[in-house]
Amino acid sequence: MKEVNIVIEICGSAGEGTISAGEILSRFMSSQGFEIMSFDSYPAEIRGFGKCVAHTRISSNPIYSPGKQADVLISLNDKHSISQLSALKENGVLIYDSQPTKPHQEDNSVAGRANPGTIPYGVPLGMLAQKATGNTRGRNMVALGALSCLFHLDKDAFTESIKARYGKKKQIVIDSNVNSFLEGFNWAKENLKKADAHSFEDVKRPKHKEKLILNGNQLVARAALDANLTFYAGYPITPATKIMEILSKELPRHGGVLLQTEDEIAAIGAVIGAGFGGKRAMTGTSGPGFALMTEFTGLSVMAEVPAVIINSQRGGPSTGMPTKTEQSDFNAALFSGTGDCPRVVLAPTDTKSCYDATVLALYIAEKYQTLVVLLLDFFLSNSIKNIDVPRKPAKKYLNANIAPKADELKDYKRYRFTKNGISPRSIPGTPGGVFFATGLEHDEYGRPNYSETGHLAMTQKRFDKYRSVLSEAPKPQMVISEQGEYDIGVISWGSSAGAAHEAVMTARKEGINAASFSSVMLSPFPESAMIEFSHTCKKILIPELNFSGQFADFAAGILKRPVEKLNFITGRPMASEDILQKMREM
Amino acid sequence: MSSQDHYVIIGNGPAGNHAAAVLRKKDKEARVSIISDECIPYYYKPKLTGFITGSVPREDLLVLSLESYARENIRVRLGQKVERVDVDSKTLHFSHMEKIQYTKLVIASGSDSRMLPSMEPYEWALKFVTSYTDVMEYKDQIKNAQEIFIFGGDFVGFKFLRMLDAMGKKVSILIYPHAFWPYNLSDEMLDQVVANLSKTRVQVIVKDDIKDIKGSPGAYRIKTCNGIEKKADLIFSFNGMTPNIDFIKGSGIDYDHGILVDEYLKTTVDDVYACGSCAQIYNPAIKAYTVTIGWPNAVNQGEVAALNLLGDHKVITSVGRKYFDLEGVKIKTTWWKNIEDE
Ligand SMILES: Cc1cc2nc3c(=O)[nH]c(=O)nc-3n(C[C@H](O)[C@H](O)[C@H](O)COP(=O)(O)OP(=O)(O)OC[C@H]3O[C@@H](n4cnc5c(N)ncnc54)[C@H](O)[C@@H]3O)c2cc1C
Repeated sequence: MKEVNIVIEICGSAGEGTISAGEILSRFMSSQGFEIMSFDSYPAEIRGFGKCVAHTRISSNPIYSPGKQADVLISLNDKHSISQLSALKENGVLIYDSQPTKPHQEDNSVAGRANPGTIPYGVPLGMLAQKATGNTRGRNMVALGALSCLFHLDKDAFTESIKARYGKKKQIVIDSNVNSFLEGFNWAKENLKKADAHSFEDVKRPKHKEKLILNGNQLVARAALDANLTFYAGYPITPATKIMEILSKELPRHGGVLLQTEDEIAAIGAVIGAGFGGKRAMTGTSGPGFALMTEFTGLSVMAEVPAVIINSQRGGPSTGMPTKTEQSDFNAALFSGTGDCPRVVLAPTDTKSCYDATVLALYIAEKYQTLVVLLLDFFLSNSIKNIDVPRKPAKKYLNANIAPKADELKDYKRYRFTKNGISPRSIPGTPGGVFFATGLEHDEYGRPNYSETGHLAMTQKRFDKYRSVLSEAPKPQMVISEQGEYDIGVISWGSSAGAAHEAVMTARKEGINAASFSSVMLSPFPESAMIEFSHTCKKILIPELNFSGQFADFAAGILKRPVEKLNFITGRPMASEDILQKMREM
Repeated sequence: MSSQDHYVIIGNGPAGNHAAAVLRKKDKEARVSIISDECIPYYYKPKLTGFITGSVPREDLLVLSLESYARENIRVRLGQKVERVDVDSKTLHFSHMEKIQYTKLVIASGSDSRMLPSMEPYEWALKFVTSYTDVMEYKDQIKNAQEIFIFGGDFVGFKFLRMLDAMGKKVSILIYPHAFWPYNLSDEMLDQVVANLSKTRVQVIVKDDIKDIKGSPGAYRIKTCNGIEKKADLIFSFNGMTPNIDFIKGSGIDYDHGILVDEYLKTTVDDVYACGSCAQIYNPAIKAYTVTIGWPNAVNQGEVAALNLLGDHKVITSVGRKYFDLEGVKIKTTWWKNIEDE
């Protein structure tokens, strides 16, 4: 049976319905049983006329990365779409508005600038929307109608998806959108001659269970609620705001509290306060906010108070590129701050693992009484996938505090030395469980103590505890074969991992003997597993979205061998095509 | 030559491409743009019949790679249809509503299948072999088709007929002697063609006409004036070509069958030249305008138009004589070349 694997981009100006058209397309394709991954890019300015792109990959098979080049570009705006043409494949399909309100001057038309070989379909988007609804707002739906006709998509099912998207709106809104869609469909049927080979007729669709269509931020929020989060403090910042937005509605319904603070320092302060009070607490931010939070992170480690910080990375440094994706906070997440300050860092590798990693972060923070940083990025936060409904966290993840036993409370040592470094923690209000909690170095009771031996012993305890977290590390994800020996081993982290795994799978079909490795837990790092993997590979390639190769340098230090770096700071997600190309050259 | 010049060529066939090559060679500074309303890069039309029947792969259709244009700094606008020419402001208007300016224009828009007026009511049922775009519409249907009906004939039609026969299709042809426009087949030649075809499985109908066509793709029913009834999966029309010049109508550029040009290939408007099968060229010897077809003529005319546009005064002549073999009948042409045999 035929298979599809196609990337469709819709490009327009803010306010032209680009993102909502992309969302409808994704939901419809998912309802048709296809795998989808979609990703929007939009201007940093809150309201404006900047360029928006809704990027959707649709496949008969599992999807690991968003796809670098588009097969289809739907242009709702000539100016913006011209700059998007470089992302359209040779022989790609272009659907554009053939009846703009006034003629284009030379080179201002996307159809005129399209690369030779592009297959253009001119559709009078504005005119048809006007005809269907009396205004041109439905141009996006007209375009989807034309697409649906050209690619043999189920018209009725598509109409249902549109109705579902606008289900809560007034009937007139639903009708306008549906009518615009049908106008586009019917016009294309009458007027367009099919000149491309794309078709969704009789193609393989993966078995269809109930799927959720969510982005990373939504999954983080959902996981936090499922894992009994009771307190969230934060200050809005792209790309993490959505988590706060969701929790602001949901957390109170679950008996929790959401606090919007005056800045990020206050947010982490409040989280540590709540953690001290025995609540599961979390904050979310991006690079600039994380920099501020660094002020407080040492306290969580020193006073052994659970705290979870989500850092959804964007282009940096400083305020950088708010709506672009990057993986350049690796060093900051692992090493920022002062003193010998070990902290746990988890980096989910795909949308689905955002859920699991959040549950794990809250669990580890509570059980190990420490700071956990969850490193997302703009792409993970915002990219949408259709995934199986996540399994609710097992009981052990919901209540992880190791409380002191009754006899321990007789002479309660909050920071008692133990084998794994975890000292039973009393929650304020526990009779007999009173203790000092301070950022100063302290003794087992928590009383300030700066003695040579005391500082050494306490530092050792904190590191022992940190190392014991390794037992909680999810198994590294690997693509390996029975051969057991490889010419190239690709080691990746975070959102680049999907692209790396996909590149390796494609490379093997091309006869390149390759394998891949990634770990969600970055700190402490499962070093022996990576070393073992490295021993099986002649060359090591480390792709990541930062300039200097922060993780590559870290990994090379562990592996004690040179590694090949592959770095991009384009603001776009990692492309498996780029990794594959590099592997071909190695 | 000034670097401000923008030479625009409408047409991406042999005439247009040879004009562009000369313009670029002689003027390294100017902008040179080639426009085609088809999406495919420059290709051999003569190989289309082989492409349809599967003997020629798509790569072999292409004459030049897109990279070679980039090397020569020639801009290619594919899939862009010129809808109107405004010679006063030297502007071309595209169907996608872009306007571009030229300083000198070469029209090399070729020709399209000729539709006989008597067949207009049946246009819905007819297929043509004129361009890659046409062919892509029905290429897959050919594979499954059992019975194919051809009417007209012309040089391309006969070539196609042979190919279909070789594929094992059941082919019928209703020969129109005037299908060979601008060439006329004499009765004597026609008899010989029919005699030669009778040795094949092809069913030949002559001295008859279409009376009615009914049905739909895959199930057409054709009735002739002499009462013959035929079933067909596909119906093809081969009745010669007619210049492709709708977009110049009303522009002030004179035309008759084709765009009227003098022996230097200049149109009746300054800075506008026409060449290839869209042009109707003045022949001082016979004091008449004639349309030419065939690949070698288009090549030659494209080059001459470009040279004259740059200031030369070359008179166009027909390319050397050649004999075309039509079902064993040798027809003398000054314009045909067997590209497929190259
Ligand atoms: C099936 C077939 C088989 C043939 N076999 C032979 C053969 O064996 N030997 C031989 O010598 N000749 C053969 N010919 C004839 C030969 O191909 C033509 O004579 C030759 O291609 C004419 O060249 P041209 O450059 O004038 O025009 P064309 O090759 O027809 O090119 C015209 C170009 O103009 C473009 N165009 C037209 N209108 C517009 C517009 N409004 N806007 C933008 N672009 C436009 C078209 O897209 C095309 O690119 C055959 C023709 C066909 C169709």
